[in-house]
Amino acid sequence: MEKEQDHFRVPLADTFRRKTPFTQLFEHMKVVKKGIDALESGLIKYYQGDYKGFSTISKKISEYEHEGDIIKSNLRNHLPNSLFMPVDKGKFLRTLREQDSILDHADGLVRMLDMRHTKIPKTLQKGFIDHANSTLKTVDAMEKAVGNIMDLIETSFIKRERDQTKQYIYEVQRLEQETDKIKYDVTKAIYKMESKLEPMDTYHLLKILEMVDDIADHAENVTDWLRAMIAK
Amino acid sequence: MLIIGGSAAIAFYMAWSIGSNDVANSMATAVGAKAITFKQAVLIAGVLNLVGAVFVGGHVTDTVRKGIVDVQSAGISNHILLIGFIASLLAAAFWVTLSTWKEMPISTTHSIIGALIGFGLIAGGVQTVIWGKVGSVVASWILSPLSGCIIAFLVFKIITITIFSKDNPVKAAKIVGPIIFGFTALLIVSSLFVKTAFGENYDISESTGLLYAVLAALIVALIGIILLRKIPERGPEDYDTVEKIFRKLQVGTSCYVAFAHGANDVANAIGPVASIIPLAQGLSIGSQVEVPIWLLTLGGIGIGIGCMTWGKRVMKTVGSRITSLTNTRGFSVDFGAATTVLVASKLGLPISTSHTVVGAVIGVGLARGLEAIDLGIIKKIVTSWLLTLPIAAGTSIVIFLALNMIF
Repeated sequence: MEKEQDHFRVPLADTFRRKTPFTQLFEHMKVVKKGIDALESGLIKYYQGDYKGFSTISKKISEYEHEGDIIKSNLRNHLPNSLFMPVDKGKFLRTLREQDSILDHADGLVRMLDMRHTKIPKTLQKGFIDHANSTLKTVDAMEKAVGNIMDLIETSFIKRERDQTKQYIYEVQRLEQETDKIKYDVTKAIYKMESKLEPMDTYHLLKILEMVDDIADHAENVTDWLRAMIAK
Repeated sequence: MLIIGGSAAIAFYMAWSIGSNDVANSMATAVGAKAITFKQAVLIAGVLNLVGAVFVGGHVTDTVRKGIVDVQSAGISNHILLIGFIASLLAAAFWVTLSTWKEMPISTTHSIIGALIGFGLIAGGVQTVIWGKVGSVVASWILSPLSGCIIAFLVFKIITITIFSKDNPVKAAKIVGPIIFGFTALLIVSSLFVKTAFGENYDISESTGLLYAVLAALIVALIGIILLRKIPERGPEDYDTVEKIFRKLQVGTSCYVAFAHGANDVANAIGPVASIIPLAQGLSIGSQVEVPIWLLTLGGIGIGIGCMTWGKRVMKTVGSRITSLTNTRGFSVDFGAATTVLVASKLGLPISTSHTVVGAVIGVGLARGLEAIDLGIIKKIVTSWLLTLPIAAGTSIVIFLALNMIF
């Protein structure tokens, strides 16, 4: 931060920060959303065997991941002990960290997918696409829950807004469970076809499923910490 | 005549400095919350500081001119007193300039009191300083941010409970907002009538004054309720409209801040001059002379010019830094700080408006109203408390000795 040469003695100026932590958490969430939106446009096509333009999408997601990292470290490195927040700072940082993991996992996933184009067998395609959609829905629901934080701040955490955030959180939990269920169904289907598949293909199919599922898991973790953060 | 003119010039400089820094500090909450533009802030601050200074500024000025140094104690000649007050004024002006340049959160109030203590010590020894009064002044420096903090905390809690928690926050805000605002009117009007030259001149007794104040409060609250009546309500989560209502109310509380500020801080600039004038005319300060109105006016104008010139820049910068302060928060801060400052002014206690404002901001933060506040500021302020007194006293002693040698 450049030192300003204004020459005034105004203690009020030192009491505030230019960028507030929640605004930055919100900004970070927006970047996650952009990354996940990019993933959505690429992943479904990939599952259908259309690899055109996937590298570009992969690069884009890596860029978002980097952008998110910058916001995260910026936020984390500028929360001094003297900073007083209306919520527990540790829980706030855990929320941020989990939110950042979503992008990390999305980035890892597309890099792997880009390195080896794994063909999804026709019979498994529907399951994979359902699983991807369910994951993306979980992230969307998480964004809603995090998005409500601004209302919480505005009203200084009144009951009505906390209840509303909790409703959003329950929705995330429900969707995550659904995603899990689809994952197990698809996994079962992969094991059934095991003899017809190359071992390396089997490995990758399971791995892709696992990595997509991690995204939903971390979305749920975000809301778990969010819940803990706003608890009275 | 030269002495009066010279000291008035330094006082004017002090007033200018108060106007450019302290006013910015107290008005920045309204600017940051976008209740008023910085141009409006400058205008409001200029006019209402003058009003506050002229009507209520006398109490604190009296404390500064004869509450710190025992001007009637034996063994101090008028000549020494004269040099002493000039030295104190110079020391405070010097120290204020330095702290502005170095951006230290130091209060003009503390500088001038420190300088006066220094002069008292060197001119007449330990017994010349009225320690009882100094003690209460120093205690008020700790109590004033605390009081700002508590009042702002309560006001914000009231806003949360009676407005935000309600199913129809906008409807609640239209009633509760004007009622809290009515209290502002009550406090301002009663401060104008009770125990002031103004009240005495027009032969208004305290009870009549209070009656007027209550009437004014009721009228203001009613007008507020009527004016806000037409604002549309859009469901339980319409917080924007609540903020909009408070944006209107905050224009009023920023006037309140400016008024209270003028009432308290004008003394820092003109207090010593109020002592110098009778001395230069060969009278003793002990005689019950009112602080001349022209001097209060001079101080008020100085503060006004200060905020119109340099203060404009400061306010712009600070206002852009504290944008996270919304109108409901700004309202609470303004109310907490201004009430504290005004009460202190009536009690004749010279306190720091800047520190009180910071206390009020922390109060809103403690009520979970702010995303983040840097409590590191408390350490800085306490350090400035501990350092300002001895350093200003030391500077004052040095200047006093130098002047004493020359004259």
